[in-house]
Amino acid sequence: MNSKTENIFEVLSPWADADPVPYRGIGTRITDPAGKKIGLFCNTKRVANPTLKAVESRLKQRYPSATFSWFFNTAPNEAIVAQPRKGEFEDWLKGVDAVIAAYGD
Amino acid sequence: MLANYGFTNDAESAARSKGMPGVRVVSTKVPCEGTVIADIEAGIEEAWNDIIIALTKPATAEETSPKVEKTQRPDRVIFKGSLAEVNQFFYRRGWTDGLPIIPPTEEAVTEMLAGTDLPREHLLGKLQSRLGKATIEKIAINAVMAGALPTYLPVLIAGTINLVESEQGFMGYTTFGFSTGSWAPFWVINGPIRNQLNINNSSGAFSPGNIANAAIGRAMGLIIKNIGGVRKGIEDMGVMGNPMKYTMVIAENEEESPWEPLHVEHGYRKEDSTISLSFPQTFLQHYPSGSDAESILQSVIDNITRGMRYTIVFNPQTARNLAREGYTKEKIKKYIAENKLMTATQTKIQSNIIVVPGADIQQSSSETSKTMPLIKDYRFIRVIVGGGPGAFVAHLIGGGPTPGKKEIQKIELPKNWEKLVAKYKNVVPIYAKY
Repeated sequence: MNSKTENIFEVLSPWADADPVPYRGIGTRITDPAGKKIGLFCNTKRVANPTLKAVESRLKQRYPSATFSWFFNTAPNEAIVAQPRKGEFEDWLKGVDAVIAAYGD
Repeated sequence: MLANYGFTNDAESAARSKGMPGVRVVSTKVPCEGTVIADIEAGIEEAWNDIIIALTKPATAEETSPKVEKTQRPDRVIFKGSLAEVNQFFYRRGWTDGLPIIPPTEEAVTEMLAGTDLPREHLLGKLQSRLGKATIEKIAINAVMAGALPTYLPVLIAGTINLVESEQGFMGYTTFGFSTGSWAPFWVINGPIRNQLNINNSSGAFSPGNIANAAIGRAMGLIIKNIGGVRKGIEDMGVMGNPMKYTMVIAENEEESPWEPLHVEHGYRKEDSTISLSFPQTFLQHYPSGSDAESILQSVIDNITRGMRYTIVFNPQTARNLAREGYTKEKIKKYIAENKLMTATQTKIQSNIIVVPGADIQQSSSETSKTMPLIKDYRFIRVIVGGGPGAFVAHLIGGGPTPGKKEIQKIELPKNWEKLVAKYKNVVPIYAKY
């Protein structure tokens, strides 16, 4: 088609509006894992558990006074805070000084 | 948060979408879905300094008090240009499926909106992952881009409702959108609308060539992309991907079926029109060794692979042969569920892979020589009739809703429906004779 006679299209956006998600900040970091209770948050993906075990093992070697607490989210692809175990999870959080989660992928 | 380096963008996107942009994601070389402990430990060792820093480095002001992003509201009129320029603009924005699109002009979108009585701004809900607002106008815009006709809009609205109301978790839309499994949306249309829209349900039902089968699935894919914000390689982490994501639409061949249609199984009237949804990852076809029920069903069983939901598409002739020997849809499902066995050893291996809700993996290691049903509940199987003359049977195996959860939606029609159908009814291919 000759550019002089080419049709010009004024087009609408297919991209949807989205409300901003309210943001929350992360908590205060620990300065030293020694003597702290480290939470290990594990999902259902098969590499999550051995990954966190490897992390736990190395932390134990380097910080013998650190202790560990595991929490398992057993529902695949469901946020723990959207499940009936939300309260249990929040209680667990209160009992640890820091959390390491494995994405599982 | 520890993530494989290929999943870093996915992890950060997930954190932002949950309102926690400050979550520290440590990129590792721990192999994705790997099982070799030495490799996992090596990945942790390499990332160790980063892990300690993420754990102990004081949080910055931005991390503790992240600034809320402004409402993402792009201009309604987004571009002006030639056909080629519009296509390049949309492609560069990541708004297409790689194929050329029809420019969604005001005029074309207005014509598309003839397919509904709902106002443009009507909100059906928010689609994961970015919780984009699924308004009627945005659905219509994506429908124009896909080459849909206005008569398809009621189907697309019902399909979007199906996505919005899809169950959370492993069996729903979120898994399809975000998994490594490359699940593809598979849409089955039932009721009178099948013929009004000329949706192919006979020979080559899954093949290209029919605008309805092509454009309905394509439009739903664009809706997922542009309203849901599901991006390949970020939210959609399908390892292999899936060509079925371009489109996977079939109408049940109700006229040639000896059984009640899918929507009637779900409690709808035969005169209702519906769209149902599942998320298969595999499409396979097989040729039964005979046309008697035993041969047909043995072939079906032999070709069932592991999945969470199963749709078996029997061609009309094969369906009639089964019905003649007394098989109903329910009887077929039960037969498959009872007779598709696997050894306990196989199930034990599978149980180490991932929790699969549709499978029975509760078997002790002392019983490894036993066989057991692969499918614990026959309701995880769907049976429909489709395709043309011949013997081949098709399976769609993969994901899908938990039985009893959302999987089917009634299609609501506008007041001017008959007039609209008449206007577009003759948009059909007429092949040259030779």
